[in-house]
Amino acid sequence: MKNSVKSNKLDYLLAAPTLIWLTIFFLVPYLIVLIYGFLTPDIFDVKFEFNLDAYRQLLDGTYFRPFLLSVRLAITTTLLCILIAYPVAYLIARASDKVKNTLLILIIIPFWTNLIIRIFSWRIFLSYNGVMNNILMRIGLISQPLEIMRTDLAVIMVMVYVYLPYMILPLYSVLEKLDFTLLQAAMDLGATEVKAFFKITLPLSLEGIFAGVLLVFIPSLGTYLIPQLVGDQRSLYVGQVITYKIKNIPRNWPMASALSFGLLVLVAFFLLLGYILLRKSKVRGVV
Amino acid sequence: MKRFSRAKFFKGMNLTVFTFAMLFLYIPILILVIYSFNDARIVTSWKGFTLKYYGQLFRNVAIRQAFLNTMLIAVLSTVISTLLGLLTALGLENKKLKGRKGFMGLLYAPLVMPDILMGVSLALLFNFLRVNTGMWTVLIAHVTFCVSYTVIVIQSRLEGFDNSLIEAAMDLGAKPSTTFFKVKLPLIMPGVIAAALLSFTLSIDDFIITFFTSGRGFDTLPIYVEGTIRRGTITTINALSTLVIGLTLLLVVFTKRIRKSLISSF
Repeated sequence: MKNSVKSNKLDYLLAAPTLIWLTIFFLVPYLIVLIYGFLTPDIFDVKFEFNLDAYRQLLDGTYFRPFLLSVRLAITTTLLCILIAYPVAYLIARASDKVKNTLLILIIIPFWTNLIIRIFSWRIFLSYNGVMNNILMRIGLISQPLEIMRTDLAVIMVMVYVYLPYMILPLYSVLEKLDFTLLQAAMDLGATEVKAFFKITLPLSLEGIFAGVLLVFIPSLGTYLIPQLVGDQRSLYVGQVITYKIKNIPRNWPMASALSFGLLVLVAFFLLLGYILLRKSKVRGVV
Repeated sequence: MKRFSRAKFFKGMNLTVFTFAMLFLYIPILILVIYSFNDARIVTSWKGFTLKYYGQLFRNVAIRQAFLNTMLIAVLSTVISTLLGLLTALGLENKKLKGRKGFMGLLYAPLVMPDILMGVSLALLFNFLRVNTGMWTVLIAHVTFCVSYTVIVIQSRLEGFDNSLIEAAMDLGAKPSTTFFKVKLPLIMPGVIAAALLSFTLSIDDFIITFFTSGRGFDTLPIYVEGTIRRGTITTINALSTLVIGLTLLLVVFTKRIRKSLISSF
């Protein structure tokens, strides 16, 4: 008994530094975001005077469009990632061990390559006199260069490109553990390939899809860099608006705080929704 | 017969999607690498092989400084967050610990928040405290976003740990400290290395959180690259990117065990 109390103490001591660190540098900052939302903006800083303007603007629809665009982008990106990642993960999971390893390396290399460099490579690829237009014109598919850079299409392409590995890897790790003899059994009992897929493979891989959605959808909501570098500057996403309010002069930190809070609420809403959906599918016994 | 052909169709479809996904993932990178050797100011056409951008790259003082800053932050934040992660993972091994669930929640929370929120909130914290932003604020920020990952990666290694080994060592008369350093630590080392590698990668890759927490005069490589792209002088960035991609390739190919550990923590 005495021994376990002692070891509990040691365990607390071991965990304490991280607990303190995250409290000071993760929790407290959110508290400050909450406070700053009710202050008065100044050109370079904030004035510590109570002001409701930021939250009024958050709710009166002034910033409705950036939020809408961000949610739309996150949904589109996630759906496209699932559609592409599923066959890819399936193929890797069913490959022989040696091939599997090579394929996994192929997925991981872009994942480990610097993000900004990958985005930059897309700028070269998509630009007006860039490589893709050159190829398409040379093989005669188009007669004039397509203007893809700085459009919403470019943003979606690069988003899918960046987030695809985040969907493939969790899907792969679920599909790899899947017992494929179940499929064989279902088919022996007369189920068609399609039916067996929808009744067995897909339900059993739901957990992987949820993990992937978490890794793709949530970061997509707050994306800044991709629309900033390849997107149309007339359609701003939440991440860009927040960044401008913080960085550009005249600064408006209360507005940035209120918008961040709005984004936080949005994230919490989607997390809760996902949690409920996952619980429901578990109750129904599909996972 | 019909079933057979349908199976074939599925396999064919998977293979097609896979091929397209690979082309999609690699073509832009490949073009970038090729054009880093292209002797032309704009990227429209091939004007012959050159290494001059690599020369410019190595003579560029700002890039060298940004590179050194990146490495400094990456090494320091990796050491700190891996150490914190190891201690925490060991402490949380005790499943009966009171408040464990709440702490786990706090550890997972940064993982499900968009990066920009961490950047903004830290920027406001440093403003509130009237701290001058620079190397130290960037380091604090990097440890903050790395530490959750290191805890989780090391935890997943500890999960499969066979405690009878500890008991055996103790039975044979080893002191707790000896048991830890001679038995436990070596066994969980692959997890620790995977955690360190992950936080190193996260650190050198980060743009947005650094963007919010670095002051004027402390650029990391991603910050420098973004600024350069915005100003439009991109020729050396091709060469720089190619070097980074080459390094990544080496790292991925030569760290098989660590890679496995990383994938299994997904």
